[in-house]
Amino acid sequence: MRRGPGLAYASPSLLWLTFFFIAPLLIIVLYSFLTPGQRGGVDLPFTLNAYRAIANPSFGKVVVGTIAVALAATFFTLLIALPCGYYMARSSKQTLLLLLVIIPFWTNFLIRIYAWIAILGNEGFLNDLLRWLGLAEESVRFLYNRAAVTLVLVYTYLPYAILPLFSTIDKFDFSLLEAARDLGATKFMAIRKVLLPNIRAGIFTAFLFTFIPIFGAYAVPLLVGGTNSYMLGNLIADELTKSRNWPLASAISLVITLVTTIGVMLLLRFNGTHILEKKHEKA
Amino acid sequence: MIGSNVHIGNVSKTFGDFVALDDVSIQIQKGEFFSLLGPSGCGKTTLLRIIAGFEEPASGAVLLDDRDVLPLLPNQRSVNTVFQNYALFPHLSVFENVAFPLRLHKQKEPLIRARVSDYLQLVELQDHANKKPSQLSGGQKQRVAIARALINEPSVLLLDEPLSALDAKLRQHMLIELDSIHDKIGITFIYVTHDQQEALSVSDRIAVMNKGMVLQIGTPQEIYEAPATDFVAKFIGETNLFEGIVRKIDGELLELETAEFGTICLTDSTPPAIGTRVSWTVRPEKLRISHDSAANGRSGLNTLQGRVDEPIYSGFQTKFYIKTAGGATMKVIKQHADWSDEGPEIAWKDEVYLSFSAKDVFLVERKQ
Amino acid sequence: MKKPDFIKAFSFSRTVYAVTIMFLFMPLLVLVLYSFNESRSGSWTGFSLRWYVKLFTDSSDLWRAFGNSAIVALSSALVATVIGTLGAVGVNWYRFRLRGYLRTITFLPMILPEIIIGVSLLVFFSGLGIRLGLFTVFVAHVSFNLPFVFLLVLARLEEFDFSIIEASRDLGATELQTLWRVILPLTMPGIMSGFLTAVTLSLEDFVITFFVTGPGATTLPLYVYSAIRFGVSPVINALSVVMILGTVVLAWSMRRFLKNIAAK
Repeated sequence: MRRGPGLAYASPSLLWLTFFFIAPLLIIVLYSFLTPGQRGGVDLPFTLNAYRAIANPSFGKVVVGTIAVALAATFFTLLIALPCGYYMARSSKQTLLLLLVIIPFWTNFLIRIYAWIAILGNEGFLNDLLRWLGLAEESVRFLYNRAAVTLVLVYTYLPYAILPLFSTIDKFDFSLLEAARDLGATKFMAIRKVLLPNIRAGIFTAFLFTFIPIFGAYAVPLLVGGTNSYMLGNLIADELTKSRNWPLASAISLVITLVTTIGVMLLLRFNGTHILEKKHEKA
Repeated sequence: MIGSNVHIGNVSKTFGDFVALDDVSIQIQKGEFFSLLGPSGCGKTTLLRIIAGFEEPASGAVLLDDRDVLPLLPNQRSVNTVFQNYALFPHLSVFENVAFPLRLHKQKEPLIRARVSDYLQLVELQDHANKKPSQLSGGQKQRVAIARALINEPSVLLLDEPLSALDAKLRQHMLIELDSIHDKIGITFIYVTHDQQEALSVSDRIAVMNKGMVLQIGTPQEIYEAPATDFVAKFIGETNLFEGIVRKIDGELLELETAEFGTICLTDSTPPAIGTRVSWTVRPEKLRISHDSAANGRSGLNTLQGRVDEPIYSGFQTKFYIKTAGGATMKVIKQHADWSDEGPEIAWKDEVYLSFSAKDVFLVERKQ
Repeated sequence: MKKPDFIKAFSFSRTVYAVTIMFLFMPLLVLVLYSFNESRSGSWTGFSLRWYVKLFTDSSDLWRAFGNSAIVALSSALVATVIGTLGAVGVNWYRFRLRGYLRTITFLPMILPEIIIGVSLLVFFSGLGIRLGLFTVFVAHVSFNLPFVFLLVLARLEEFDFSIIEASRDLGATELQTLWRVILPLTMPGIMSGFLTAVTLSLEDFVITFFVTGPGATTLPLYVYSAIRFGVSPVINALSVVMILGTVVLAWSMRRFLKNIAAK
């Protein structure tokens, strides 16, 4: 790396992101310490009320619920993604297998959620099927609960976990597994004792890429969840648009931001800084 | 110095705490094949990059044809570089890579065609003009890089370890070719390498560097035969290096007292004072090894007695590690020539005599 | 590469993969099926193309939303690509004061949940008194697209050694000539994939857009959202199928396009 016109090249990015990303975040920090205004907005004086409100049990329930759903969905996602990534990495048809994972992912996010409504809804495909098979008289209510939210979240974020796991496992030297087998390990032991420790970085990246967006989920619980499966994201939107309590919305946003940032920093420390240097595949 | 092609005067450069160049001064004449030789980290590449304009020295002067080039950007200097990794533009064909400098100056198409084909001919790549760099072998890439660097007709061509990515055989071949290109176009080549064989075989003069300093500048013969410091002696070829104290001076003939071999005689035109502690060196191929001590006692000849500790046969020669009576080990290389009139084969554990002329012993300066 | 035998016998992962692919495709297949359903309600009553006819003849709101999406996607992707590419060039090869800061602020937007970006921009725009509309949507989209372009271009640039740039300067090119004749052509595959990713992300975005949009600036995802929320018309099924087909075709042509560039 050299001295040179680096700043000239970088200044448009620097200015844009400082103005339209960092500044808004700082305003959130500021607002979270202010008093709600009459019709939205904020007013003086400075206060910690918004943070006191988060600690309130009715909010606390949402916080705990959000963490529970996020952990469960992330767990199931990784559980499915690990064998998938392994199979893809070991296959000779990697491009095809990757494409099969990515194509559904290219479909619009809302359409994918909507597809699940079409399947799980009271007059949806599944109820149709059950009636046709004579297994149910009345419609079964599959939607609008935490299970539905978790299912659709897993569906939505599965590729976020499969892709980094695939690329890590793909770099793994599989002759190590043969060596382990040669030394007397069973298949299962070889995978557990040799493969898993070596792909830890990929597992953490996958965890990060799944947990964080799920933790801040908004659309999925809004569309397939009920009032009891509300998540923090929905709470923010409600405070912003319905209750018009901007400081509270800001405070919750800040909590999510902090949790995310701390999580990422821990992982970066644990994993080395390679995530920062790594390509990010989203679409 | 006025009149030299490349003048490097008292150049120093540091990176943080690391001293890359420490007061380096070199004069290079027009048309010379000049090598900068040294281990990695010795500052040779930094010096090259300063000449090219990629680095700025902390102090010192760089003149090209008597003109101060330090204020000039790399693209304004009439110096071109052949990069270690070739640095060919992967998106351009061989032809376009070589044409790149001409296109920058918006030259006319017929002129570009003519010039590029001349230079492709020079490096014998006229049949590969339309290939992409990725379709070429290492040696071919190297030649494209050379043609591209020469097409601007620079006053000096800088070569940064250009052969290090090639295998040994190809390296030999490319070295000969480089030499012939140099002969054909006659401009100054500054060649950076850590390989002493490369440097010795093609250079007019060599600067041996270590730890940011120039230890010796001279022709390959001077550097090999009469290394100025112990580092140069060890770095160039194989050698035997020992210490001793000057005991007697008789004109150019000196006698040293050594702990390992007793008295050693040598010649030196500028002998140090009696009683000085010195280092001395003798190349292994200058030692004669035999079962008998026929040469014993002649003046100007050193004779030692020892036992073969380890013979290492390598086809055209054998290298012997001889444990001498004093307990030190002396390396000896014996060429296998069919005219040799040696007696029986020298084998492991044989008692042997070593002899070498006073003229082949050199005093070296002790430095790092 | 030949796989060792014991791996072939290990079919657990293959089974999981196969089931997962079915899981991923199944909802989309159901949508395709239902798009041909005659009835308005969920249950299957018979084959019909009426929803496709309605989609293309009698859905002006939907097409207006599509138009908005297209405008925002193309303009924001273009701006993000130009800004992000330059930023990546600067970060990859040069050392400058704010380099670490830039690396952080190009990383953060990708890891923060979308809702945070949406909410903070909403608060920011209303604080500045900027009227919400297509312009604010455009600004928001550039902001979240920029880091992706930046990283995709950076990934491409990282494949090249700085000596390429030095060679260009050494051979007589100025900084601008180097940018134009060496850096941009070399980086073109990264730039193109950055641009296409940005278009895709922009077309796809719902959450951030939801917060920063204003009257008259309904994008396609917002339209789909309100259709789901406030009474689903089976036109949405037909639209979904068209969009799925659209993405597949786009992806396919993108692949060939990228391959062509890479081969050049």
